[in-house]
Amino acid sequence: MFDISPTEWTAIQLSLRVATVATLVATPLGIALAWLLARRDFWGKPVVDAAIHLPLVLPPVVTGYLLLLTFGRRGLVGAWLADHLGIVFAFRWTGAALACGIMAFPLLVRPIRLSIEAVDRRLEQAAGTLGAAPWRVFLTVTLPLALPGVLAGMVLGFAKAIGEFGATITFVSNIPGETQTISSAIYSLIQTPDGDTAALRLVVVSIVIAMAALIASEWFARRALRRLHGN
Amino acid sequence: MHRLAGVFAGFFAGLFVAFAVLAGSAWSPALAQDKNLLVFAAASMKNALDDIAAAYTAKTGAKIVASYGASSALAKQIEQGAPADVFASADTDWMDYAIASKIINEPTRVNLVGNSIVLIAPKDSGIDKVTIGPGFDLAKLAGDGKIATADVKSVPVGKYAKASLEKLGAWTAAEPKFAMTENVRAALTLVARGEAVLGIVYATDAKVEPGVKMVGTFPPDSHPSIIYPVAVTATAKGEATDYLAFLRTSAAKAIFEKYGFRFLVSPTT
Amino acid sequence: MLRVDVSRQLGEFSLQASFASEGRVTGLFGASGSGKTSLINMIAGLLRPDRGAIAIDGETLDDTAERVHVPMHRRRIGYVFQDARLFPHLDVRQNLDYGRRMNRLADDPAQRARVTDLLDIGHLLDRRPGQLSGGERQRVALGRALLAQPRLLLLDEPLGSLDEERKVEILPYLVRLRDEAGVPMVYVSHDADEMRQLATSIVMLGRGRVTAFGGTEVLPTTP
Repeated sequence: MFDISPTEWTAIQLSLRVATVATLVATPLGIALAWLLARRDFWGKPVVDAAIHLPLVLPPVVTGYLLLLTFGRRGLVGAWLADHLGIVFAFRWTGAALACGIMAFPLLVRPIRLSIEAVDRRLEQAAGTLGAAPWRVFLTVTLPLALPGVLAGMVLGFAKAIGEFGATITFVSNIPGETQTISSAIYSLIQTPDGDTAALRLVVVSIVIAMAALIASEWFARRALRRLHGN
Repeated sequence: MHRLAGVFAGFFAGLFVAFAVLAGSAWSPALAQDKNLLVFAAASMKNALDDIAAAYTAKTGAKIVASYGASSALAKQIEQGAPADVFASADTDWMDYAIASKIINEPTRVNLVGNSIVLIAPKDSGIDKVTIGPGFDLAKLAGDGKIATADVKSVPVGKYAKASLEKLGAWTAAEPKFAMTENVRAALTLVARGEAVLGIVYATDAKVEPGVKMVGTFPPDSHPSIIYPVAVTATAKGEATDYLAFLRTSAAKAIFEKYGFRFLVSPTT
Repeated sequence: MLRVDVSRQLGEFSLQASFASEGRVTGLFGASGSGKTSLINMIAGLLRPDRGAIAIDGETLDDTAERVHVPMHRRRIGYVFQDARLFPHLDVRQNLDYGRRMNRLADDPAQRARVTDLLDIGHLLDRRPGQLSGGERQRVALGRALLAQPRLLLLDEPLGSLDEERKVEILPYLVRLRDEAGVPMVYVSHDADEMRQLATSIVMLGRGRVTAFGGTEVLPTTP
């Protein structure tokens, strides 16, 4: 029962690679946007906020299809990227990473935004009076105090990215070794008459990863609370 | 309690790092896959093509990566830019569509094998031998249960099934009882699991699945000939034509016929 | 030498203050709500005047007519807040060192020793702010502001959140600061006794206006 076949192993490796890349790339952007939403008011702010949360609310297939239309080989942006920069997303693991990153983004941004909002602005003021320029205030005061929230967001985003299915399979389909993640592999296996055992193995792997991610995220969230209450 | 959560988190973090390193080492932008041939083939060809791929790799050392699915879905994916080297469709409609979409290297197209569609039931079903001819009442046979086949609007096996049933006058009554799946193998699985009381799949599918039994054959003249065209795609690597040539050899013929396909061309070698 | 000539709308009333001070400790005295905090916030650069100018030792920090505004982090003006505002994620030593790092000043162990001795915080260096008492926190805040080597130190009711015992404990440190630290101070308070002990010149504020300016004689005598 615990004999993992090469196909399953490939799917697990691919899922981890896709989710890791998606999370690492999305995090700096997520921190920047979270800071903007937490600390600044600007024209169009509600729209930006809604747009960030859209992937959470739209049917994943819709998100996947929109990605196909935009970043597919013949898509508006995709065609340009492929012709001029040689960057291809469609039917590549990079496309899977893009889909997973977008789906995970709202889950990443939210905890970060909340933890930045929870940082006492008076501390940031104090830092300013001590000679810290705004970017240094961010790096030396805001971010360290918001760090547990950032980590919680990253872990949550990672868990979402590794479990993503609808948008991924619509955008980059289900090519073994390239875009067949754990979810797509399970999907294929349960449609195959003798694929149940293998599917169950992957289901167990999925659950283990998701549980670990959720527990870690919860741990970071609690640390955040402790840290902000002055240790 | 904090201690336990900390242990879990530490374990996860370690796992994370380990896999990140692993994943990183396996990373190559121009994937190793690029040296392999990517074959998009109808789901019903899975068993035969897997064996043929193994034979091809044994002979030439080149690896085949196959993505099996409904011919309709595959054709659309290639049209959207999927990097397939070879396309094997379960009907001529979808190959024609692919050619019209300019994604196929047309001169390489060959109508390779043929098949037939059959009525199947779960292995332990009370239904036994059924004669399928004009006036055949599929709805009555199914009773309260579902009839599984792939989407009749787009997937080849579903299209053949509907055409045949319409010719036999059994379609209208039976239509509400259909459970339509994404591809033929999914329909096969539904019957094998007993979720559907009947199913319409290819004869070759019924042969490989011990969980189902064949209870009737659809008359060949009740539907368009079931022909599987194969071709090299417009963006294919050079080695693709070698693979296509291998599909026409008597070695390949033997494998296809073992699984119940009819070989439609004269074999080479 | 501090020159202030500003006006600003603050909710319901307007603040209009104009004074120049040479004193070692300039006291800003007035009831709560008279605009004292807003005034020193403008001096610090946390708030911008609607109109007017602020200059220190001849350097313009704010001038609405000339459109000059030096951002707060470049003013070299220290600020001790009523609520200390120590960084919770740093220990006392790191808090003290913060201003020096941000201003890219050379490490000066002698200076550091002088300040920690002055304020009696040498034994607290490895503690976190959360482990300090109110009085200790305030002394560390003083040290932190001083070690950034400001040219002016602003103190906003630093004893305001402390009980009588703590106040009595800290006041001598403030007097020592005045006498030994060599940094001019602007001290905000509504407590006449504190003012009498510390300030060398007093600006009295009432409802946003300077009502008196002079030495400690302008302070109300307690009955």
